[in-house]
Amino acid sequence: MSDAELPPSMPPHLAPWKDFVDGLGMGSFNPSEMFPGAPALGLSREYQETARRLVELGQQFHQRYTEFAQQNATVMQDAFHVMKKRVDARLPPKSPAELYDAWIDCAEDAYHQAAHSDSFARLLADLCNISSAMKVERGKLTEQLARHLDLPSRAEVDSLHRQVRALTAALHRPAPAAAPAPAKPAKSAKAARTARPTQNPRAVRTPRKRAKK
Amino acid sequence: MNAAPDSLAQLLQSAAAMQESGRSVLKSMLGMGEIEVGTSEKRCVYSEDKISLYRYAPLARSAGLKPLLICYAMVNRPYLLDLQPDRSFIRELLHAGLDVYLLDWGYPDGADRFSGFDEYVDGYLRRCVEFVLKEHAIDSLTLLGVCQGGTMSLCYAALYPTQIAQLITMVTPVDFKTPENLLSKWAQHIDVGLLTQSGNVSGDFLNLVYLSLMPFRLTQQKYVNLLQMQGDRVQLENFMRMEKWIFDSPDQPATAFREFIQWFFQENRLIRDELTLAGKPLRLKNVTAPVLNIFASKDHLVPPSASIPLGAHIGSKDYEALEIDAGHIGLYVGGKTRKTVPAAVMAWLRKRN
Repeated sequence: MSDAELPPSMPPHLAPWKDFVDGLGMGSFNPSEMFPGAPALGLSREYQETARRLVELGQQFHQRYTEFAQQNATVMQDAFHVMKKRVDARLPPKSPAELYDAWIDCAEDAYHQAAHSDSFARLLADLCNISSAMKVERGKLTEQLARHLDLPSRAEVDSLHRQVRALTAALHRPAPAAAPAPAKPAKSAKAARTARPTQNPRAVRTPRKRAKK
Repeated sequence: MNAAPDSLAQLLQSAAAMQESGRSVLKSMLGMGEIEVGTSEKRCVYSEDKISLYRYAPLARSAGLKPLLICYAMVNRPYLLDLQPDRSFIRELLHAGLDVYLLDWGYPDGADRFSGFDEYVDGYLRRCVEFVLKEHAIDSLTLLGVCQGGTMSLCYAALYPTQIAQLITMVTPVDFKTPENLLSKWAQHIDVGLLTQSGNVSGDFLNLVYLSLMPFRLTQQKYVNLLQMQGDRVQLENFMRMEKWIFDSPDQPATAFREFIQWFFQENRLIRDELTLAGKPLRLKNVTAPVLNIFASKDHLVPPSASIPLGAHIGSKDYEALEIDAGHIGLYVGGKTRKTVPAAVMAWLRKRN
């Protein structure tokens, strides 16, 4: 896809990304292409939704990152102003090292001011949150792909981990107090066969090596 | 800036000298080889999943004090406390006759993503404490927590006060919402549920955050300074050990990380007495053991204002705060502090045994 074919709102460097997500549409009708905002329809609607969400997130990230870069440019300008004032007010640095250290001090001071502001914190958080959302969406696509190829997916591994955790937690739970002995022993062999243990096995922890006292 | 010809010549001369020094540094670094860290002798006495409990070999006659269990932070590796023989907080304690245990959280992976914060405090840490108590046939020990490990130790001491004879917290955040706390400011708007939805939080991400606290110093100036070390091998090795430690950051288990950020950084539950761990309400007033709270005046990660409030919130009548003129890391490896801090810890412990 050439830059000319990109939607007007999309920055040119996102073209490869758009090609990638277009490919996920599996060649079916995608009404949202022609009618922005229309819901995804048809066999590939789930892919379309994910792809559209990824494009939206990509655009959001680009926008916020531009603001972040602008903020950093302002920090650098502030640092240069402070640096100039310092150099004008004091003796000029005697060595490149001294000059450089003075610059670092000014840059850190200017950055410190900006970094403590609420707008900076919100900008950083937005970038982080958008990246997290993109990671989640990418995970969905990977999950689909893994299922198509009959490969173990993250969801499958997670499910196994949950089962292992539940078993481990059961092992760690202290065993309930022993039930009182039944008043009468089982009368028949059948009754004895159907009896089941009622308490969890007690957790036993054996250190690999024991320390000497 | 107007420079006279003679000062311009001076500048050029200095620049040439720096370049020469840089060349010498790079030459020395080429033949450096592997860097050793964590050199004191120790052995694993208990392990479970990713965690290991180490006991250090004694280096002196026993001082007759209760064994000390160090609970380090999960976000970094604990060998900072034993970086090299002449920069080792642990070695100093061993030389003073202390029996030292260290809880190493290891490198969590995908299998740990559902482990909650309570599992680390009321699970792994509890079992390590119980192991040491059983090993020495005693009822209580000294717990020393570092940074996030200090917060975890505080939680533990509040949950199991009778098991803690003395508590030492080092650069430990207690009030997570003070104006100087830049990390906390940044954490407020992060959707940590979304961040951890797709798994553990990578150590690289955390490193990026730490570097962003002082980007010019930490990503530029320190490497320019490195080039001025004139090929001094000892200095270069020290630098490389620290460099290794800084970027050797384990991934954080998703659930525990989410809970830690949300409960502590965003909601400040610890100091507000609103924390519940493993179904048990956690109150700092339950911390009744003697407490030594060590913080660093130049700490950019855990500012003093985050540590100082501890004394006002615990139930202990024996509380001492110790301010050290150092940074978050310099407290352990700094020129003077690497001797004075362990000495202060030992003096405080001796008074209470």
